[in-house]
Amino acid sequence: MGNFVLGKYIPLNSPVHRLDPRAKIIAMLAFLIAVFIPAGWIGYAVLFVIAAGTILLSRLSFGFIWKSMKPMIVMMIFLFLMNCLMIRTGEVLVTLGKFSVYTGAVAQTLYIVVRLLLMIMITTCLTATTKPLDMTLGIEDLLMPASKIGVPAHEIAMLISIALRFIPDLIEETMRIMKAQESRGVDMKEGRFSEKIAAILSLIVPLFVSAFQRADDLANAMEARGYAPGEKRTRYKVLHMRAADWLTVVGANAVLAGVIVLARILP
Amino acid sequence: MPIAFDKVSHIYSAGTPYEFKALDDVDLEFSEGKMTAVIGQTGSGKSTLVQHLNALLLPSSGTVRVMDREITAGTAPKGLKKLRGEVGLIFQFPEYQLFEETVLKDVSFGPKNFGVSEEEAQKRAKEALRLCGLDEQYDERSPLELSGGQKRRAAIAGILAMDPQVLVLDEPTAGLDPRGTEEMMKLFRTLNTKRGKTVIIVTHDMEQVFVYCDEVVVMADGKAAAHMSARDFFADSSICRSMNILPPAIIRTCDALREAGFDIPKEINTTSALAKCIARQVKRHG
Ligand SMILES: Nc1ncnc2c1ncn2[C@@H]1O[C@H](COP(=O)(O)OP(=O)(O)OP(=O)(O)O)[C@@H](O)[C@H]1O
Ligand SMILES: [Mg+2]
Repeated sequence: MGNFVLGKYIPLNSPVHRLDPRAKIIAMLAFLIAVFIPAGWIGYAVLFVIAAGTILLSRLSFGFIWKSMKPMIVMMIFLFLMNCLMIRTGEVLVTLGKFSVYTGAVAQTLYIVVRLLLMIMITTCLTATTKPLDMTLGIEDLLMPASKIGVPAHEIAMLISIALRFIPDLIEETMRIMKAQESRGVDMKEGRFSEKIAAILSLIVPLFVSAFQRADDLANAMEARGYAPGEKRTRYKVLHMRAADWLTVVGANAVLAGVIVLARILP
Repeated sequence: MPIAFDKVSHIYSAGTPYEFKALDDVDLEFSEGKMTAVIGQTGSGKSTLVQHLNALLLPSSGTVRVMDREITAGTAPKGLKKLRGEVGLIFQFPEYQLFEETVLKDVSFGPKNFGVSEEEAQKRAKEALRLCGLDEQYDERSPLELSGGQKRRAAIAGILAMDPQVLVLDEPTAGLDPRGTEEMMKLFRTLNTKRGKTVIIVTHDMEQVFVYCDEVVVMADGKAAAHMSARDFFADSSICRSMNILPPAIIRTCDALREAGFDIPKEINTTSALAKCIARQVKRHG
């Protein structure tokens, strides 16, 4: 669990790290939409080059991207097998006994894999280079216009930042409880079905208790310091859009527009 | 059956930027049937050390020998359950491990996991609860309704009910009130002397080490910096001071009195003995 890297912030100093979170969020959204526009392999090639370039620019290693991909591999293999069984278009590629694999199945799987890869690359460019707190500041700002129609922008941002803050704590807590119960003879790996149920209960119950306890403590601590949702407040950290940030926003949307045009003129 | 560490190192998150060597080439042998204190500053590796005793943590290199098991780095040990029944480990702040509907059920959870029958488990649970100072009225209460100190007692009872031969305690009295602390320490000492259990206790409280323990292991920066009898350890307060440890109050008082010109023999170790000794000298000088 400790090696789970998808969505982890990597503290480095790069031009991408220094961009305004709002600019990065808008750019990421634009690129994610672009991934879902069927602009053929040319479109994907363009997006891939941009994403790879951003990763280089943010000094992340491709090994990191690979690690983020790893949890998905089983799913992809499953997907490939399903496609092989279901899709019967194109020409026969190979025949194994009764089954034939069609080119259509391979192409379809490749499309999905490439999309997934692009999505992971693009989101990683955002999550790995933006501190969770900056991210929530950005989200709050971007939601501000919606707060006019009753969307609780600040509360949503606060919710997200608290959730992010507690993920590592909860992982650690889970490990701790697991160890304590293992000391009492719980066997998380081996054991009969009924034993497994008891094992899971002995983990879940304390985890819930402690999560509620933490939530309660935090709520009290926040209230004790005068926090009231919906109140007007100033900010400790004020975000500023600079030239590079505007360029990122305009550039990302230009790429999106380009991909849409490409999809239109494609046969 | 010895409990020994042979060149044991433990590295957390090996191979990541967060890599940390918490145990560094530890050679150590705990004496059987004794009560040994493990002391050392925060982050010196005490908790990491004791979690090797029931194989919750496995060595990154070296060998740990506990009971008749030998756990060597690089091998995947099987059937650790038996070992965990023989070496009972109580964690720092163990109250979070309570989960059953009633205190009694929770305390009998451990023995039942080790194949003890329902009735026998209940019997042992009741006995352990009484030992830990929780009487019948708590048996059917929900563990979540207990106070912090009572939860701690219930959690400790949960391990005692397993009747392990070796008892490992990681700061069992942190956050207990002074009377509770004394009661628990006396209980551990009794289990050690009356029932012959080997007790290994992690603590920051030098008074506890001084009063209750036979031997002392000092951890510093992941290394076992010293291992000696408690008597030798406190005989000369310079050992404590050289390791940045504040000696117990009685030792400090004796030192101060010696500096002021009193003649205090080394074997004095209780307040009443010290008081008599001083009284005698004051009288003699008129
Ligand atoms: N799961 C973990 N991952 C990474 N590092 C850890 C982990 N657990 C402990 N450490 C580190 O290992 C070192 C030793 O930790 P340990 O818990 O053994 O200390 P300790 O002597 O018990 O301290 P304390 O008196 O505060 O309980 C610490 O520096 C700690 O930061
Ligand atoms: Mg500790």
